[in-house]
Amino acid sequence: MTATPESAMTTQPDARIESARDSLATATPGRVTLRDLRKIYGDDKTGTPAVKDIDLDIEPGEFITLLGPSGCGKTTTLRMIAGFETPTAGTIRLDDEVINKVAPNKRPMAMVFQSYALFPHMTVFDNVAYGLKLKKLPSARVTEEVETALTSMNLGPYRDRAPHQMSGGQQQRVALARALVMRPKVLLFDEPLSNLDAKLRVQMRGEIRRLQRRLGITTIFVTHDQDEAMTMSDRIVVMNVGVIEQVDTPQEIYRHPASVFVADFIGRANFLDVDVHEVRDDGAEVGVLGKRWSVGKHPAVAAGDVVTLMVRPESVRLSATDSREVGGSVGRVLSSMFYGEAIEYDIETEAGNLVVSVADPHAHETFTQGDFLDVGFEEGRAWLMPVAADTP
Amino acid sequence: MPRTRTSALLLTLPLGVTALLAGCAVEETPTTTSSSSSSAGGSIKGTGEVVVACTPQEEQCQAMAAAFTKASGIKTSFVRMSSGEGVARLDAAKSKPEFDVLYGGPSDGHVAAFNSGLIEPYVSANAAAIPDKYKDKDGKWTGTYVGVLGFCSNKDQLTKAGVSAAPSSWAELLDPKLKKQVAIAHPSTSGTSYTAVWTQMVLNGMDEAKTFDYLGKLHQNVLQYSKSGSAPGQMAGRGEVAVGVIFSHDCVKYQKEGFDMLESTFPSEGSGYEIGAVSVVKGGPNAENAKKFIDWTLTPDHQDIGPTVGSFQIPTHPEAKITEDMVKLDEVKLVEYDSLAAGEKKKELTAKFDAEVAPAPKE
Amino acid sequence: MTATLLPAAADPVGTSSPSSRPRRGSGRDISLLVMVVVVALLLSVIVGLPLVRILTVAFSAEGWSIVSSMLSNPVNRGILWNTVQLGVIVSLLGTAVGFVMAYAQVRLKFRGKRILHLISLMPIVSPPFAVATAAITLFGRNGMISNGVFGQQIDIYGLKGLTFVLTLSFFPVAYMNLKGMLESLDPSLDEAAANLGANKLKIFTSVTLPMLIPGIAGSVLLLFVESIADLANPLVLGGDYTVLASRAYLAVVGEYNVAGGAAYSLVLLLPALSVFLIQRYWVSRKNVVSVTGKPAGSPELITAPALRIPMLVMAVAVASLVILMYATVVFGGFVKIFGVNNDFTLDHYRFVLAGIGSDAMFTTTLLALIATPIAGLLGMLIAWLVVRKLKRTSGLMDFVGMLGLAVPGTVIGIGYAIAFNTPTVFAGRQWFPAVAGGSAILGGAMAIVMVFVARSLPTGQRAGISALQQINPAIDEAATSLGASSLTTFRTVTLPLIRPALLAGLTYAFARSMTTLSPIVFITTPQTKIMTSQILAEVDSGRFGNAFAYCAILIVIVLSFIGLLNLAMLHPSIRGIQRR
Repeated sequence: MTATPESAMTTQPDARIESARDSLATATPGRVTLRDLRKIYGDDKTGTPAVKDIDLDIEPGEFITLLGPSGCGKTTTLRMIAGFETPTAGTIRLDDEVINKVAPNKRPMAMVFQSYALFPHMTVFDNVAYGLKLKKLPSARVTEEVETALTSMNLGPYRDRAPHQMSGGQQQRVALARALVMRPKVLLFDEPLSNLDAKLRVQMRGEIRRLQRRLGITTIFVTHDQDEAMTMSDRIVVMNVGVIEQVDTPQEIYRHPASVFVADFIGRANFLDVDVHEVRDDGAEVGVLGKRWSVGKHPAVAAGDVVTLMVRPESVRLSATDSREVGGSVGRVLSSMFYGEAIEYDIETEAGNLVVSVADPHAHETFTQGDFLDVGFEEGRAWLMPVAADTP
Repeated sequence: MPRTRTSALLLTLPLGVTALLAGCAVEETPTTTSSSSSSAGGSIKGTGEVVVACTPQEEQCQAMAAAFTKASGIKTSFVRMSSGEGVARLDAAKSKPEFDVLYGGPSDGHVAAFNSGLIEPYVSANAAAIPDKYKDKDGKWTGTYVGVLGFCSNKDQLTKAGVSAAPSSWAELLDPKLKKQVAIAHPSTSGTSYTAVWTQMVLNGMDEAKTFDYLGKLHQNVLQYSKSGSAPGQMAGRGEVAVGVIFSHDCVKYQKEGFDMLESTFPSEGSGYEIGAVSVVKGGPNAENAKKFIDWTLTPDHQDIGPTVGSFQIPTHPEAKITEDMVKLDEVKLVEYDSLAAGEKKKELTAKFDAEVAPAPKE
Repeated sequence: MTATLLPAAADPVGTSSPSSRPRRGSGRDISLLVMVVVVALLLSVIVGLPLVRILTVAFSAEGWSIVSSMLSNPVNRGILWNTVQLGVIVSLLGTAVGFVMAYAQVRLKFRGKRILHLISLMPIVSPPFAVATAAITLFGRNGMISNGVFGQQIDIYGLKGLTFVLTLSFFPVAYMNLKGMLESLDPSLDEAAANLGANKLKIFTSVTLPMLIPGIAGSVLLLFVESIADLANPLVLGGDYTVLASRAYLAVVGEYNVAGGAAYSLVLLLPALSVFLIQRYWVSRKNVVSVTGKPAGSPELITAPALRIPMLVMAVAVASLVILMYATVVFGGFVKIFGVNNDFTLDHYRFVLAGIGSDAMFTTTLLALIATPIAGLLGMLIAWLVVRKLKRTSGLMDFVGMLGLAVPGTVIGIGYAIAFNTPTVFAGRQWFPAVAGGSAILGGAMAIVMVFVARSLPTGQRAGISALQQINPAIDEAATSLGASSLTTFRTVTLPLIRPALLAGLTYAFARSMTTLSPIVFITTPQTKIMTSQILAEVDSGRFGNAFAYCAILIVIVLSFIGLLNLAMLHPSIRGIQRR
């Protein structure tokens, strides 16, 4: 293996690569619409539903991520869009045309697989050329197109390699080139980064996102990794046990989760039991940690609902206190962990144990196990939300 | 989907090739032959082919087929099988026969086949030269050779078994010293073996019970019932058994092939014999050629072939050559062999043998 | 930007024109439907129809009287008992021998492994009579070894001889099975046991053996099916030991009692099928050995004399016997009467090569060459449909495909004779003409090719299925996603990837076609002579020299084919890129 570092494509890309990428751009990115989409494995009546009547609108050129724990139905949804699974009910539209009955090989979509699924008996070139040859393009055109795609992925030198002679990152790029060269209306990713090591994964995230922006191609990305979802997506679809919990931008999802599940799954969250004093249209007054707070609230929260207050670890504020007893606003450090860029504490309070993250602390501002602290949080970042079993 | 179509073609290619190649391998069978009502006495020249179910030994079948092809210009193909098997094959394909001629095997087999509606009577003009005792007057079968049943013994093996001289009677075959030292074919498949069964019937005055009593005792000494009638001679030659019950001409053949320790003897009570017959298969694909073939087998041209390939049956044509190696019919005591009666009882007796004798346990 | 690279008129993907829409296929993938229908039709003709017909006849009044007398009639009971007895003995003994050979091959340290491996496979590529005739010559009454060396008169005819010959003929099946299984045993288990203090013998008895039990059970069951189905050997050296297969043969060939033949077939079919089903669906599920993925390391080869020496002695003894048998075949073809008159002669080879044998040789090879690619491709296609494409019906298709192996050859042969000797008429219409028998089209050659395919496709199918199970289905989907139809995916992706399985399938298909006898004896015709049935005739008439020559030539043909096939597969144009 020649010593081309994995990072080659993330270093300042040269003009040749950039122009190759431009020429791969899709003229008309597709719009994907899902309506009442349902998938039941096994018997239609008695089988377990994997996807329960979901609706989703994916805009042309959008990068949307299906996020959720394993078994939430995200991969099933993607495979129904790709045509590898037949929906039990509901419709899939591409640009307003129902494509439920269109065979997978006839859909103008291209997929990048978790295992890359490169054809092991073909060279890199043949892998990328495969779909074009099926289109019966003249061989000169095929060569030209494949060369462009390989250049755009900085894979030029590897065209005659066999897949197993390449590193994971390189294989990933071949898979991407193979999909892009088809100029699909929709690009589908099925957990494509999960087989890469941590560092490379972070690099590829940025790479894919940049490429997608440049090409303007509608992209549906499935992952169970919230960091991937947060960093890459225009919008995130959070799924759980076959239903969509929330569809929104990464920021909205993080700040204003629609349900306890979302709040818990995306990032980390403390859930505090609070006394609700007043519920307004745009917020609420709650009592917790010995004080009264004015916090934001989920629109669905009404007076008398069972609610919980979400406070992100980084929104908690700690300060030294002379008190020697847990109660009211006073809490005690149970443990602390040093992460380099932050310190994380486990704090015992009367409202329960809190996870607290303090970014980039000075050495003299750190606390140790057993210290008593005054605990508070940023009112504007706390979020009051319903606890109902099935939140909207 | 043009690509799909080519691929589908690719997959069906082997099938097409099958048809093509197989088509080349087999020549077209002419459906009609010359319309002359009978070729009797006329030229045996002809065209097309003739398919023979051939029961003598392979070498003889080969030589016979080659000679007829050469003499007549008719392409002759054959399958070598034992006579019982041959009749079974004819029966199996009754609705659309694959053979034209049943060649060889005891005449009783031909009678049995005729009774099953498998044989078309044909009186060849050449049959006139054949003595009456060697042919059926209605042409159900015509004899082309005669063979006498005998014992083919391995002298070395006899000595090892503690028997001093080759058995010379049916009774001596039951000698306990010969336990598992006798070989004979199965009467279902082999005409040779059925000849032996019928011989016992004759010797026992057509008493079935007595006959089967003898066969049951013999069973104790039999090592294995072979499919083909001549096989026991080979087994004796290789020393697998001491005595094989076969037609004596087959024993002579084996002696000539190198089994010099073999000795041919005949039972003193009387031996059976076969009239090796030919007959026309009913509804065979090449009826005219079948008749030409039968005509030819009744000539010395055909009957002189045997000795050249080590087959020493006695020819039925008075002018065919008799050689030193052939049995002198006047020196052997023969039973009165009624092949018509033998043929009629064949199915019944072989079924009984199969049910009662062959599977019986040995002490 | 697109326009500069791709003129709109020739836009391959159709993305630059707003009117382009996903092409509306007529529903799902048509090529898949076509393939399934074609395969299903083929299977029902080459396996289904003969079986149905034989069952119909067996359940007719005449047939049923024999079937129902199976236990009441002492003669039939004896035959049934003989069959079961032979099956049990051979399956146990054959598996034991196969295990010794496999264990020696995989786990023992010694020189000459490759040779031992080839010797162990020899019986697979040889016709059924080679061992039997050689055994009679060497170990019979007057055998060169039994009598010539030891002065013994052994009665080889009957159970003893059959056990010996069948064990030697069928142990390779167990060998292959167990060898694969031993190789896939994770050596870290051994290491773990050793780490916990077990010695080699203890590891063998407490870890290796228990892990292999499903494999051993599977081999026993497979060998049981093979040995009760065998026809050639009971005919040649059964003596008065009649088994169902030889009884059915005698009924059909000697008596033209088709109903009887069908009845005995049915009785033979029941244990064969049920044992096969048990093997297939029960034992294979009990399999604890992981077959996916490579073992973590290679096992440490055993040098401990306590285990090594007895195992090696047994392995070498078996190998020597095999060599002896085939040496006999080779030499026997060049002398007048081996053991009686050992003068050199070329007569036997002349008989086979220049006489009637050349016809049979040519025809058999040609028909086997036709059947081989069909069987190989069909096997891979079925494997692919079963593993990848079919859902609810995959088990059924797998089962029907395997029937050619599970159903005894005698039964298939009689089924063919019943089903195809006359034109196939259904619902008042003739669907195809008679394909078996001398008066059939192509001189009956088509039925023989069909039998060859039916008999030999299951091995390819099995190899294909296990190969496919180790290939990530995403690779198929990737091709689909790039626009390939099912058929194109199979042709361009699947088939190249399971090339080793295809190679195994082709090899076995050819070997099996060339050496199969039991179904063939019922459907050879005057125009289409098949070597194995010619050999049977030679053996039965006692002309062992000719039989030896036939066997030797047949083996040479099979080995040459395998050699050429392997060479061809090595060729770069076929090979493509070698996988890890």
